[in-house]
Amino acid sequence: MNHFAAFDLAPKFALDSQELAARYRDLQAAVHPDRFVNATDAEKRIAMERAVEINEAFTTLKDPVRRAMHLLSLVNIDGMNEKNTSMPADFLIEQIEWREALADAKLKEDEERLEEMLTELEGMLASLGDTFGAAYKGEHYAVATTLARKMRFVQKLVEEAESALADLEQ
Amino acid sequence: MAFLQISEPGESPEPHTRRLAVGIDLGTTNSLVATIRNAVPECLPDGEGRTMLPSAVQYAEGGDVVVGYEALKHRGDDALNTITSVKRFMGRSVADLRADTEARYNFTTPSGDGKGALKIVTRQGALSPIEVSAEILKSLKGRAEESLGGELYGAVITVPAYFDDAQRQATKDAAKLAGLNVLRLLNEPTAAAVAYGLDQHAEGTFLIYDLGGGTFDVSVLRLSRGVFEVLATAGDTHLGGDDFDAALAKHAFDTWALTRALSPTGQANLLAASRAAKETLSGADVATVRVDWGCGFDSKVDVTREQFSALTQPLVDRTMSAVKRTLRDAKLKADEIDGVVLVGGATRMPQVRAALEAHFGKPPLATMNPDEVVALGAAIQADQLAGNKSGEGESHLLLDVIPLSLGLETMGGLVEKIIPRNSTIPVAKAQEFTTFKDGQTAMALHVVQGERELVADCRSLARFELRGIPPMVAGSARIRVTFQVDADGLLSVSATETTSNVRAEVTVKPSYGLGDGEIASMLQSAFASANTDMQARALAEARVDALALVTALSNALFVDRALLNDGEHGALNSQIAHLKSLAEGSDHRAIVRASEALNLASTEFAGRRMDRAVREALTGRDIEKIV
Repeated sequence: MNHFAAFDLAPKFALDSQELAARYRDLQAAVHPDRFVNATDAEKRIAMERAVEINEAFTTLKDPVRRAMHLLSLVNIDGMNEKNTSMPADFLIEQIEWREALADAKLKEDEERLEEMLTELEGMLASLGDTFGAAYKGEHYAVATTLARKMRFVQKLVEEAESALADLEQ
Repeated sequence: MAFLQISEPGESPEPHTRRLAVGIDLGTTNSLVATIRNAVPECLPDGEGRTMLPSAVQYAEGGDVVVGYEALKHRGDDALNTITSVKRFMGRSVADLRADTEARYNFTTPSGDGKGALKIVTRQGALSPIEVSAEILKSLKGRAEESLGGELYGAVITVPAYFDDAQRQATKDAAKLAGLNVLRLLNEPTAAAVAYGLDQHAEGTFLIYDLGGGTFDVSVLRLSRGVFEVLATAGDTHLGGDDFDAALAKHAFDTWALTRALSPTGQANLLAASRAAKETLSGADVATVRVDWGCGFDSKVDVTREQFSALTQPLVDRTMSAVKRTLRDAKLKADEIDGVVLVGGATRMPQVRAALEAHFGKPPLATMNPDEVVALGAAIQADQLAGNKSGEGESHLLLDVIPLSLGLETMGGLVEKIIPRNSTIPVAKAQEFTTFKDGQTAMALHVVQGERELVADCRSLARFELRGIPPMVAGSARIRVTFQVDADGLLSVSATETTSNVRAEVTVKPSYGLGDGEIASMLQSAFASANTDMQARALAEARVDALALVTALSNALFVDRALLNDGEHGALNSQIAHLKSLAEGSDHRAIVRASEALNLASTEFAGRRMDRAVREALTGRDIEKIV
C-alpha cells in the first residue's frame, strides 16, 4: 500500500503539512461512512474500508519517522527490523548521555532544562529528516535507513521529554 | 411492480422527501430530544412545555412503568424501584460500582461472580440498565413522533466521549430495544461543538468542557471549513454533578453527626436537598441544606459558596488534570485554544468557571444553553445523516477519535496496545502473534481497553478462542488479529492463522452488551402474541430493508450509469426487479437472501463509485491550487 498515492502525492520526504491536511479533509469528505448512512450495504462497507485507509495513510504521512519508514518500505526495506543495521557506536553513546540528562532533569524537576532539551531534540529530528530526504532522493538507501533509525531514537527521546514535562505539570 | 420507472434526465427517480430524524441526549440526570424544524435545531418540549425529561424510571406496583418527572416524585417514597442515574450502570458490573454514591439499589449479577453485566432488582424483576435506558428512550421517541406527526426515520444518540466499548454497545442496544434506528452514536462534546460551531460560525481550535450529571468529558477540536476534527479527548465516566451533590450531602451528614445510617429514602431526600442547595449556590452566596425526616424531625445546615468550593476542590482538580492531558495529547498549549465551550448543567457552578478562566486566561464561552447544546448538535447531525441536507455547501464533516486504547492480553498479564487512544475513526489495525508451545492448537484472545500496562487495570471487553491451529513448532504459527473500530466507535475483532487460514471473529459485546438473541427475546416479550407478530415484524423489516436497498441503488445507477457497461447495468437492473417482486410476496427469508445477493452483485459498482469520488476530491484540490 503506497500511502502517498492515496493522497496523489509523489513519494518524497519533504511535505507541505498544510496541503496534506487539506487533502485529507477533502478525501474524508468524499468517503467517510457518515456520507453513506442511507447507501447500500456494499457501499457502506467500501466507504468504511476507504476511510480506514485514508486515516492510516494520514497517520503515517504526517509523522516524520513513520513517513521515513514508509518511504523505505516502498523500496522494500524494513527500517524497523532490529537485525537490519547496527547503529554507530558514537550515536549510541550520545543516546545514553541524552537519556541520563533527561532522567537527571526529571529527578531535579528542572522544567526549564527539560524544555530546552525538548527544543534541541526537535531540532535534531528535523535536521535528520532533511538529511534523510536528500539521501532517499539520491537513492542512497543504506544511509537513509541508518538515518531513519536515528530519527526513531531521537523521536523516543522527544516523547520521553514530553512525558517528563507532563508529569511535572500534574 | 416488475418494471423500473424511467425518469426524465436530470430528475432524481425518488422525489426528495424529508425524513424525520432526531438527536437524543441520553443524560445521567436529564435527557432531551431535538430536531431540525424550519432549518433551525430546537429541543422538543413535553405537553407542559418542558424540554428536559428527568432520566428517572419508576417500576410501579401493578406493572406500570413511569418515566420522567412523575417517576422522580417517587425517588423518596419508592427509592428501590425508582431508578435514577442509570447511565452510570451502563456496561458495568457490580464490581465496578463505587460504594459511596452508586450502591443505592439491590443489584444482582446473572453470572453470579459479580463481574458480568449487572442487573437492578425491582418489584418488576431484575432489569438490566439497558432496559431501564430503553424506557427513557421510548418516552422521548413517543414525544418526538407525537410532536412531529409521523414515524421517526432515525436518531443520533449521544454518548460521553470517554465511554468505553461496553458502555457504547449498551447504549446502542438500549436504542434498538426502544425501537429506534440508530443513525450514529455521537460523542457529546463533538455534538456540542457542531451546535456551537455552526451557530457561531466559529473557526479555530476549541476545547469543549462537558460536565454533566454523572460524566465528564473534555475534547479539543479544530474547526475549519465545515470540518470538525477531534484532536484529542479525555474524561471520567464516573464524575459529574452528582458527585458535587454527594460531597455536599456528606458535609451535611457529618455536620449533623447523625448516629444512624440513613434509609434509602433518607439518603434520597438528603441528596435532593443537597442538589437544590448546589443550584442555589450558583446564584447566591449562601444556601441551606434542609431535610425533613418526617415525624416533626428535621435537620439543616447553612453552606457558603466558599465552603462549597473548598468541599468540591478535589473534583474540580480531577477535571482540570483531564483538561491538561487533552491539551498535551493534542500537542497544544493553553494559549493556543481560541475558546473554551461549556457544556452540561454542572458547568453553571462558579468554581468550575473560575478554574477554567485561571487556566486559559480568558472566561469560558457560555452563549448557548449548556443543557440543550448536546441535543441540538445531535439533531443537526441526525438531519444530515438522514440525507435531508442536499446542498453541498452546507454539509459538514465530523472526524472523531477513540478515547481509550484497545489491546490484547499477552504473556504475564501485560497489554499489547493495538490501536492507541485518540486514533481517528474508523480505524483498523492488524497485529501478528505466535504460539509459545510446540503443537499448540488453540489460542485464547483477551481484548481489553485502557491505558494501563497491566490487564488487571484495564477494562476487559471480550475473550474468545481461535481453535484448529495446525500443530507447529512454537513460534512458527502466524496469528493475525485485526481490530476494527467503526464510525460509532464500536469495536469488532477477528483473528486468522495465516498459514492455514483458520478464522475466528467476534463483535465485541458478549461481556457487557446484550446478545442479539437477548434483544430479540426482549422485543418478543413486548408483543402480546409473540410468534405471529415476530413473523410479521421480520417480514416488515425485510421489506423496509429491501426497499431502502432498491432506492439507494436505483439512485446510484441513475447518477453513475456511465460507470457500467450495458451488460453490467442490465444485470443489476434485473436483480433489482427480482427483489422488488419478491418484496411484494410474504417470504421474508427469500427477500433477505435476494437483498444480500444484490448487495454482493453491486459491490464492484460501489467500488467504482468510490474511486470516482476519491478522484474528484483530489482533482478539486488541484484546481483550487492552480486558481
